[in-house]
Amino acid sequence: MKARTLIIIAIVVAVLAFLGAGCSVLQKGADAVTKINKSPVVKTAVALRNSFADITEEEEYYIGRSVAALILSKYDVYQNEPLTQYVNKVGSAVAAYSDRPETFAGYHFLILNSAEINALAAPGGFIFITKGLLAQCRDEEMLASVLAHEVGHVASKHGLKAIKSSRLVETFKMLGSAVAAQYTPAQLSQLTELFEGALSDIAGQLIEKGYDRKLEYEADSLSIKFSTATGYDPNGLAKFLEALVGESKAAGVKGWFQTHPQPQDRLDRVKKLIAKLDSLPKENQVRTQRFKQAMSGLK
Amino acid sequence: MKKKTPLVIVLACLIAVAVLLAAETFIVKVKTTALRSSPKFYASAVTDIKAGDRLEQVSMQGDWVQVKTASGATGWIHKSALEPKQFNLLASNKNLKTQATADEVALASKGFNKQVEDSYRAKNKNISFVWVDKMLLIKIPLNQEINFLKDGKLADFGGGK
Repeated sequence: MKARTLIIIAIVVAVLAFLGAGCSVLQKGADAVTKINKSPVVKTAVALRNSFADITEEEEYYIGRSVAALILSKYDVYQNEPLTQYVNKVGSAVAAYSDRPETFAGYHFLILNSAEINALAAPGGFIFITKGLLAQCRDEEMLASVLAHEVGHVASKHGLKAIKSSRLVETFKMLGSAVAAQYTPAQLSQLTELFEGALSDIAGQLIEKGYDRKLEYEADSLSIKFSTATGYDPNGLAKFLEALVGESKAAGVKGWFQTHPQPQDRLDRVKKLIAKLDSLPKENQVRTQRFKQAMSGLK
Repeated sequence: MKKKTPLVIVLACLIAVAVLLAAETFIVKVKTTALRSSPKFYASAVTDIKAGDRLEQVSMQGDWVQVKTASGATGWIHKSALEPKQFNLLASNKNLKTQATADEVALASKGFNKQVEDSYRAKNKNISFVWVDKMLLIKIPLNQEINFLKDGKLADFGGGK
């Protein structure tokens, strides 16, 4: 018994000694790196970034701010405080029950003073909806489904995916070589050009060309998921797309119709997805009533 | 009894090391948010936290993590606000922990940041950020959002799934 105890103690001591030595060596190594030259550590860590998914939350926020500013350079803001508050309440609800309720500076919703039927989401959670699109909604479920579709674009970082990968590689490579706390004027100038390029990649897709069909279908699917999780009837999206089917012929190729796949195509897919759900939340009279009240001020 | 004591102590040390190795810490990656009293968005706030804060995991429930702050406060937070960070022996040293944080701050401040936005704005004076800043100020107070959900029988107050 005594011998066995001694053996156990010896093994335990040996393990601890090994761990301790390991710690000590690692610690010394780290101290050396820290004291002599820590910059390669930072450099390596930065250089490891290589795709849109490696863009930090704070970088996404700064990209989103400028994309939002570009959208707002093309559209005027519709200033209607009660309606803006209402849209933000619906949007905040679906964002809270999305896959990504937290972004660097949260989700914010603004109404654009345009008769065009359109909605746009800049990275990080800057979401825009036109007066024209609001006018197509007949109840809170429809509005929630559109906002949930835009939240889906943000949650899945579709905007950041639009940045050309060659531009990202160049950006990360450049950042890998900049180790000082502040950029030199030459570095800042180069980085600003890369930033402008990234903004133009995103704005080009958002405003002009639209996302790839696959991403729009994904956002529709997320809209159904987030709306249902919040307690909205996901048929709001089907009803909205039905309304668009009629409008698309009259509107030609502007706004939402220019940047989104054909509404009939989306409607067919959305109906199939909803049919797969076991049970659906029902429409609610209080919600429809408050929607009508908020919309009564729309001019 | 005397003979057994060292073994117990040593085993306790080993367990402590194992726990340290297994414990997971997180870094807050959003600007500011709150720890909640339960794993729900509209639960009352326990304490405010900010980007860069370190939190230690206590438990998990779905997408929600129960965490402990450096000051000892415990609360719930959605995983989308957190960057996972594996605890390791190196970081268990206080000095190194501080150093690691300094490096992370250096890294976090790299890339597209305020300095780059200022430079972009200086080059593109026709692009206005006035409404972007106003937009960021739109925030629905928690009690109003809760009443909105309650009245509409949404989420935890009715039809949410």
